[in-house]
Amino acid sequence: MKDSLVLLARVPAHPDSRCWFLAWNPAGTLLASCGGDRSIRIWGKEGDGWVCKSVLAEGHQRTVRKVAWSPCGNYLASASFDATTCIWKKNKDDFECVTTLEGHENEVKSVAWAPSGSLLATCSRDKSVWVWEVDEEDEYECVSVLNSHTQDVKHVIWHPNQELLASASYDDTVKLYREEEDDWVCFATLEGHESTVWSLSFDPSGQRLASCSDDRTVRIWRQYLPGNEQGVACSGSDPTWKCICTLSGFHSRTVYDVSWCHLTGALATACGDDAIRVFEEDPSSDPQQPSFSLTAHLPQAHSQDVNCVAWNPKEPGLLASCSDDGEMAFWKYQQPESL
Amino acid sequence: MDQPPDLFDAIVMAEERYHGEGYQEGYAEGSCLGLTEGRRHGVSHGANVGSEIGCYQGFAFTWKCLLSECTTEKDSKKRRMLDSLLGMMQKFPYADPTYAQLHEDLDRIRGKFKQVCSLLSVQPNFRVGPGRSALSF
Repeated sequence: MKDSLVLLARVPAHPDSRCWFLAWNPAGTLLASCGGDRSIRIWGKEGDGWVCKSVLAEGHQRTVRKVAWSPCGNYLASASFDATTCIWKKNKDDFECVTTLEGHENEVKSVAWAPSGSLLATCSRDKSVWVWEVDEEDEYECVSVLNSHTQDVKHVIWHPNQELLASASYDDTVKLYREEEDDWVCFATLEGHESTVWSLSFDPSGQRLASCSDDRTVRIWRQYLPGNEQGVACSGSDPTWKCICTLSGFHSRTVYDVSWCHLTGALATACGDDAIRVFEEDPSSDPQQPSFSLTAHLPQAHSQDVNCVAWNPKEPGLLASCSDDGEMAFWKYQQPESL
Repeated sequence: MDQPPDLFDAIVMAEERYHGEGYQEGYAEGSCLGLTEGRRHGVSHGANVGSEIGCYQGFAFTWKCLLSECTTEKDSKKRRMLDSLLGMMQKFPYADPTYAQLHEDLDRIRGKFKQVCSLLSVQPNFRVGPGRSALSF
């Protein structure tokens, strides 16, 4: 287990500040980072090292909390504590801010693009989740404001192949939304975590969802469609999401991020105890009650809280992480042979 | 020596008796005061909800009138959203304070109002006085 996660490079991405979040572009060639210094940086590989290709400094007045690439890779959205979301258009190596989305009352915490590229979701400390529609002329129109959470909403993500949206909140729950007529509605609330849910990640198929929390656990939820063989009750035509596994006892502090590799199925976590961990599903375990094993544990991956882990979408085993110490790091994960 | 034995009894039991009477009187008065207080609270809270919804309703009607002459696709979408907001307010059970989904429905109306503001490119917190937001209910 000791050599399964090897450091490839360490980069002072946002010096004297926090590095909050990382996002790979769909081609896996560029990495966007954002931080407390109000800037977004775009990184590309040159030789063995990672170099900064652009700095997007003019756009936000406060911390940039999260960034997300559009599925086509030509746009980048950034969510900031200044209550706005910026949309950046990529022209070769340059980025231009083409739209600023306003509407949230305060800090925007997260932003995510739907797989179709025509919908965008944002969430905020104002407890709401907004869904935006993009037209051909790059105009953004709000299609719904969802007030389902009772506290700060920390994270939003879209299902990998359906128009299904998930949000995680300080109210300890995860909520799922779908479109209904002209509006969006919350159709499921996933309860189980005992404290703030910080992040979410779907598995490659979209059948399972991982959530991580301040309660130091990771939970795996599985979708059960109406009329499922297992007899899990569903209301109407909506699927039920049931917790089928809880990873507890591994993390000694808050788990801030979880990333499910869509190439290998490995699950990485970023933790407040400065460590990065990787889990793999035991191949022989029951899909209705899977068990996961810790296959890599790097106790001092960073000198402070690890805020984010992100698997490269094209290169299996390439993991990027970032931390409150302002640095980001690149790791090579090798699956242990015993699995 | 032939005094009735219940004289002592009355003295011995006095504390208990007055305690009981006091409790009854206090209970009756407290219930009455509580009702008044609760009523006052309900009236002010209900008035707040009413004025919030009334404000949205006036806003929506005004914008519907302003947009009535406009015919682009975008304008008709705005009108559709205004109608949807008005519809939600029409269905709101103003006379039923025990309605279980009161707060959820109110949150949905607030969300729809914010969406409409975003579509109309209007800042929902128009300020009326110094440091005071007209729409902080």
